[in-house]
This record gives sequence, C-alpha cells and structure tokens, in this order.
Amino acid sequence: MKNTLLTALLIFILGNLCHFGLPWWCIAPIAMLVGWFFVRSGLGAFSGGFLGGFLLWYSMAWFADSSNGGMLSAKVGELFMGVQGWKLLLTTGILGGLLAGFGALTGRWAREIFAKPTSKRGRNYLQERRR
Amino acid sequence: MRTIKFLLALSITIFLVWKLARPLHLGDKTIPPLGAFLNPFSGFWANAESAKGFKSKDLSLPGLKGKVEVVYDDLLVPHIFAENMEDAARVQGYVTAQHRLWQMDITTRKAAGRLSEVLGEKTLRIDRITRRKGMVLAAENDLIGWNKSPETMALLHAYTDGVNAWISQLSPAEWPIEFKLLNYEPEPWTPLKVALVSEAMAETLCSWEDDLESTNTLAQLGPENFNYLFPEWNPKQQPIIPDTGQWKDLHPLLPPPVILDTTGSLGVMEPEDSEEKYLNDGPIVGSNNWALSGSKTKSGKPILCNDPHLNLTLPSIWFQVQIHTPLANTYGVSLPGIPGVIIGFNDDIAWGLTNVSHDVSDWYKIHWANGERSKYTIDGEQKTVQFRYEEIGVKDKPVFIDTVRYTVFGPVSYDFEPENPLRDCALRWIAHDVPMQSTFDVFLGLNTGKNHAAYKNALPGFDSPAQNFVFASRSGDIAIQAQGKYPIRGQQQGRFIQEGDRWANAWHNYIPWDQVPSMKNPSRGFVFSANQNSTPPSYPYYYLGNFEDWRSRRIYNRLEAMTGATVDSMKSMQLDNFSQRAADALPTMLRLLDRSQLDADGKQLADELANWNFQYESNLLAPTLFESWFDSCYTSTWDEITALEKSGKSTLRTDDLAASKNQKIELLYPDAWRFIEILQTDSASVFFDHPATPFRETARDIVLESFKLTQAYFKQNPEKRVSFGEYKGFVVKHLAQIDAFSRLGIKMGGHRTAPNAISKGNGPSWRMIVELGDVVHALGVYPGGQSGNPGSRFYDNMIDTWASGNYYDLLFLKSADSPSDRILGKQVFNPK
Repeated sequence: MKNTLLTALLIFILGNLCHFGLPWWCIAPIAMLVGWFFVRSGLGAFSGGFLGGFLLWYSMAWFADSSNGGMLSAKVGELFMGVQGWKLLLTTGILGGLLAGFGALTGRWAREIFAKPTSKRGRNYLQERRR
Repeated sequence: MRTIKFLLALSITIFLVWKLARPLHLGDKTIPPLGAFLNPFSGFWANAESAKGFKSKDLSLPGLKGKVEVVYDDLLVPHIFAENMEDAARVQGYVTAQHRLWQMDITTRKAAGRLSEVLGEKTLRIDRITRRKGMVLAAENDLIGWNKSPETMALLHAYTDGVNAWISQLSPAEWPIEFKLLNYEPEPWTPLKVALVSEAMAETLCSWEDDLESTNTLAQLGPENFNYLFPEWNPKQQPIIPDTGQWKDLHPLLPPPVILDTTGSLGVMEPEDSEEKYLNDGPIVGSNNWALSGSKTKSGKPILCNDPHLNLTLPSIWFQVQIHTPLANTYGVSLPGIPGVIIGFNDDIAWGLTNVSHDVSDWYKIHWANGERSKYTIDGEQKTVQFRYEEIGVKDKPVFIDTVRYTVFGPVSYDFEPENPLRDCALRWIAHDVPMQSTFDVFLGLNTGKNHAAYKNALPGFDSPAQNFVFASRSGDIAIQAQGKYPIRGQQQGRFIQEGDRWANAWHNYIPWDQVPSMKNPSRGFVFSANQNSTPPSYPYYYLGNFEDWRSRRIYNRLEAMTGATVDSMKSMQLDNFSQRAADALPTMLRLLDRSQLDADGKQLADELANWNFQYESNLLAPTLFESWFDSCYTSTWDEITALEKSGKSTLRTDDLAASKNQKIELLYPDAWRFIEILQTDSASVFFDHPATPFRETARDIVLESFKLTQAYFKQNPEKRVSFGEYKGFVVKHLAQIDAFSRLGIKMGGHRTAPNAISKGNGPSWRMIVELGDVVHALGVYPGGQSGNPGSRFYDNMIDTWASGNYYDLLFLKSADSPSDRILGKQVFNPK
C-alpha cells in the first residue's frame, strides 16, 4: 500500500515534466522509470501507476476546467456526442491512469528480466531491503 | 514467462500511445487523436481560459522602432498606441493573430483552394473550383498592384511580421482549439495571405452573376415573356444617387446593345448535376449605411451609421481595434488578416461601406479550334490557351495537379466536369485584374483622413469589390460614392452568356473615376445606400446587378421625414423591422382574397394579417403567416417555371426549344417586386393560370388557393403556428459548422426586406453609429466576441446584447494613460 502511494506520488510529481515541452505521452516512459526503480510488485506498479497518472491528468484538467467555469468542457462534451463536462474530466483521468499504469507495469516487469539478481549494480533498493 | 509478461505490458503501453495519437474514424465522423486532444498539458484543456481576470505580459518585439502600448478594454478591444504607422501595423498583426489565428488560417485556406491539405479528399472539388475561378491568380495580381506603393507595402510587411512573431512563439499547447480538433499545425503568414483575405471578400461580395439562368430563361420563354417578367428597373426604387441633372452633358461612347435573340448558337444549356449555384453560394449579402448632415440632427453635427449584412459566423468576421499614431486616432472594425480599420471613424471623419452589387463577372462561350481544347478561335484567328498548373495538396493522398486553361477572357473554370453547362465558358471577373493602385492606400487614406478632400483623394484606388463609401466629417460634410472599377457595357451586355469568338464582346474600357456615381452635401440633408441601384436609368452608363428593392425605400422614407435626429433615432432605424415588401404585398393579397370562401379559422387568420403593421417582430404570429402565404402564392404563380426547370419543356410556347431534350435546367424566377406589381396591375396574366387545370385561373384564384394551402400547412404542423422569433430560430454558426461552438435558436425579429435585415445565418455583422463633434460619440456591437477561442468568455459575449437590440459605447481613448473604469489591462511592446 505504502509502495503504491509512493509510486503514485512519484509519477504525479515527475509527470509534471510534461510542462516542459515533452510530448503528451511522456507520462508512459516516466512511469516506466518509476516502475523500474521504485516498485516492488506488478500489482503495485499498475495500481500506483494508474493512481498517479489518473490524479495528475484529472487534477490538471480539473484546475483548467474550474477556472474556466466549465465553459469549454461543456462545448467539447457536446461535440463528443453530448457527454457532460464531468465525464470528459473522468475520461481524461482514466487515459492518464492507463498510460501511467501500463507504463509502470512495463518498467517493473522489464526489471525482472533485464536486471539480473546476481548483478550488484543497479538493483532495486526496495527489493534488496525486503530480502 | 517473465519475458511474455514484459512483452505484453510493453505492447499494451505502446498500443495505447499509438492508438491515442491517431484520429479515430466512427462511420463518417473523424475524432481527433484522443491522447493529444484530451491530455491536460497540450490538449483542449489548455484552451480553457480563466473566466476571470486578464493576463498579459510585456514583451519585446523584433522590428519595432519605438515603444507600443496596447490597452485592453472590458470587451477585449485592443487600443494600440504607437509612435508610427509601421509599429502600429506590426502590433495589430500580433494581437489579431493572438485572438483570431485559426480564423485567419481557415479563411485563407479556403480562398487559396487549400482546404484539402487539412481536410482530405472530400474538399477537393471545392478547392478545384476555387483555383479554377482564379482566386490565387487574383491574389497574386493584388500583390503586383499593391507593390506600386512601397509605403503601404511596408505596413503590410510589418503586419505580416507581427502575425508571425505571435505564431513563432506558440507552443502546441497554445494552438487554437480548432487546430487540435482538425489535427493540423499553424503555418506562417505571408503578404499573399493578406491578398487572399481581400479576395475572399471579393468572392463574397462581387462574384454574383446569373448569366446561365438568364440565357436559359430567355431561350425558354422568348423575348416578350422575358421582358414582361424581368424588367431591369423597378419604378418604385429609390436609387443611391438621384438624377439632379449632373449627367446631362455626359455622352460617353458605348458598345452596341445586345439584341435579345433566342436562336443564337448558345441555345439551351444542359443540366447542372447539383443544386449548387456557381459563384453565388450562400444567401444574398447586403448592408445599410447613411449619413445625416447637421441640418437633420439635434446636435447640429453629422451622424453616420453603417450595418454591413454578412454571413454571421463565430469567430466573427470583424475584429474591433483602435489605432492611435501621431497621424491619426482611428477606431473601428478590421478584417482579421488585413492591416488597418475597414469601417470606422477618427477624430475628424467617419466612413462606412455597403456593397455596390453590380455584376462584374461575365461568362464567354469559347469556340475551340481543336479536340484537345488547346486552341480557340477569336475573330477568325486561332489562339493558344495558357495553361496554369494548380498543385493541390490532399491529406493522406498524393498531390493533385489540376490544369486550368486561360483564354484572353479568363479561366475556363468548369471544363473538368463534362456535364457542366458552363464547361466551355471562360470567366471574366473584375477581381482578376491587377489593381491600379494599392487598396491599402485607400484605407490608409480613410484611417488618417481629416476632411472630404482626403476621402475623395483616397477612393479612386479601390476597384473591387465595389463599395458604396458613405462619409461624414466633423466640419459638416456628408458624401457617398459607389466606388469600384466597372466595365463600360452595351445595353444588356453581361446579362447573358456572351459569344467568345469575337473580341468586340470583351470589356474594353471602364467608367472613368470622376464619373462613378457620387454625391456630396445634397440639399435633402442625407445620403444613404442599401444595395439598391446606384442611379436611375438616366445615368449614361448601362450596368446590371443584384439590387435590393425594399430596405432602401423604407430607409429613404424615414430619413426624409426625420428631423432633430439623435443616436436613439439612429438605433431605432437600424433595428427597424418594418418590411416594405409586406407593406406592398399584403394589402393587395388581402384585397384579392375572397373571404366568403374561408372557414372560421381562415377568417381569423385573415383578420390577424389585416391587423398586422408589417413589422417582423419576434413575438408576433402575423409575420409567420405572411411569410408562408407569400411564399406559397409566389410558388403557385411561377409553377410554369418550376415545371420548365424539371422537364426543360415549355408550357408556354409551341416552338419549344427543349422539347426533345427532357432535362433539368436552371432558370430565373421573377423578382418579388415584379411579382407584386403583376398581382396589383395584371391579375388576369397568363402566368396565374395553372396549365394543368381546365380552368383559367387568375390572381384571385392563386391568392385563395395559396391561403388555403397555408392554412392547411399550419393545421398539419401546429408547432409551426408560432410567433415569428420561434418560427425562424436564428443561428450564428461556427466557421467549421461545429454546432457545439455555435449559437443556435436565438429568438429575434427582423427580415431580409426590413432595415434590420436578419435572415437565417445572415444579418447585421456590425452595427455602428457615430455622432461627430468636438468629442466623437460612437456606439457599436457585433454578434460575436473579440476572442476566437470557444473557451474564452469573450468568444460570444456580445451576441445577447446584439440580439436584444442594444449597443456598447465604444471606448475611444485619447492616450494609453486615459483613465477609464472599463480597462482590463495594458501590455507594453518594446523594441528588441
């Protein structure tokens, strides 16, 4: 649980790199790195990644939407077959969550293959400690 | 196992990114890439502007010579204070792009025939027609003409650089939302695009013609019926410039008249395959303007008013701006993409525009000399066509290369469609010509003008689209001039498709500048225009066009009677819903209506109509009834023409030209004024007879029949038997026809035939009232907002004010530091 929250928090913070001209999908590779270095289990990777990505995308969109008074999301929602603004917010959050969730899972499982337990260098310090 | 797990997770991630980065196709709908569009960093959320507050930061702009200050007022109007015109133009370009970039892009893409680059194959035909009409050639020729004036060309370049300064600092997150939706990128602005914006206006305003329809109609009906149904002069018309004897010594040499002849080789044109009217798409555009001299106003100073009627769109066609330089302090509306103010005022003068509506677009039938159509015959000699190759980019497809044939008359526009009746015709259009002077000299002259002499000096550079320039000055002068480049025509020349096998049919000379219709300080104390005829028939030059018959008479009557005019009386005129057409038609129709044939409900409807004051008010039922009855009566009367259109067979003549062909052809319908005149004066006319019935119907039968049809229609559709505002349901559509970005279902009065010329999607695009004096008092409003961003509170904030008939006081600042409680903030541009 703690690890899930840590993963989510790291993705939430590092995901803000998107502000600096990186493409919108940079949340996926960022989550991969977090998954590689900090996550203990596949389930933790996905849930932490999803939570972090969801919160990041949802909250960013929510801030934009509420300062705009929901004006634009209402119009865009109407354009997307009449969905309400809050559903657009939710969709945005879920997309961020999926990208980060699968990203983190990929990172975590990549480590299981590529980072051999025999190698002393570059180990997952969380895994070490658990052992 | 681990490898499989990893590969699975990796491929899901990659698949997600890939899928979300691509547009989705659902049926015929395309949904923008969801990841790109929905992500909160660069997707549409980034276009959600704060609903409160105003952000601006000072910046340095390369190329500026001095400091420029921009003050924004509470309607987001930029007030530009610059030390010279060039700096002002540069910053005008910058701030216009800041608020209207996508509109500028899509307008010029359409005008350049480049829609397919971003929209794909579905717009290829539109692009081809645009190119084949010579729109790009026209814009290129504009630049050749404008280059004759290095001074104003420098302003055009400064404006262009200003637009590009805005574009180059944009991150994809800051692109207007339409770029994200349609999934393409902004591109740099160029002087050619300025010319394209200008040509887009020419296309809207001066590409009207009905040569094909007239040719067909004459051939089908014969000269006698044709002349009966389509007289060129409406005797009730109030022309812009009355005959005061000013032309009696003018005897120009005119080309010979066209002889009405239905046996010529043109004959009957073959059918068009679509409903589309070539060159004349969209509703008829029009406008009102007038100026009152001090003798008619309460203040003793002139008042000038203008309301150009155009397709109403979001973003709006106009962008308000104030430009203050040491040369002048000017306020008004600009066209996004063009420097300067188009309609407006300064401390000393005010000016406004309406469309002149002359026909300056003719078709010539080319006589090909060989099967490849690379040579044609003219005056017995063979000439070679010039080929122009148009490269049209098509999204996801290879570049399409269109070959367009140019003759001495102009491009053969429709030869790519073998079934098109105009396939062998060349287009002569005034907008193709190289301007004799720079159009910008005209607007620079008006923007900085101080008196009538400056106005008169400025105008001759303006050749297309011809405009009625109304003028008033603080010193007390009023004037109007129908300014444009007009061919000197023989009687009826240009009304029909002309033979292109003789050079004599071409346009050879143009009406000299000092003989275009104009008027200064008439004793009646006012000048006005509403797209009606420029002059009575005593004007020595023949012209034809698409003239308005109703607004002008109403405006004339009201101005004639007016004394002690104020800003409020001007408002009531711009908002006047009185229809002269209804006032002419309804009493006649009621007189012809046999009430004894009506049931109780019918009598009630007739009473409702009899009590109507001809005002198209939103809350009245009578205008709804009248609209329906009049349309039905008109349609019933001209059933012969409709039958001819469908069958190509004449029901009127035995020597029927199209009897053997059995095809759909395009025909003309009589003007509404002529229809009403025939109702009033010739109720036994053969045209009231339905050929299919054994009876001989008269106007009385048609009037009764159409009344009963109307009654039955409202009985069957009780939801339509509502007040006029609900019946019409006015809309202001987004330029890409996106309903979510449009305003639909606005309830309001007004009618095309009333001064408040509202029709569906079309109407007063800017209402302006300027009272000159020691301090200028100006009001204005347009149905839209200064921002082009649907996520901005300034996107459509003026629509409700406009729809309810209210105005804003225009904030005409003396300096960048003038105190006002309407100022949102200030932005300073420094030289780099």
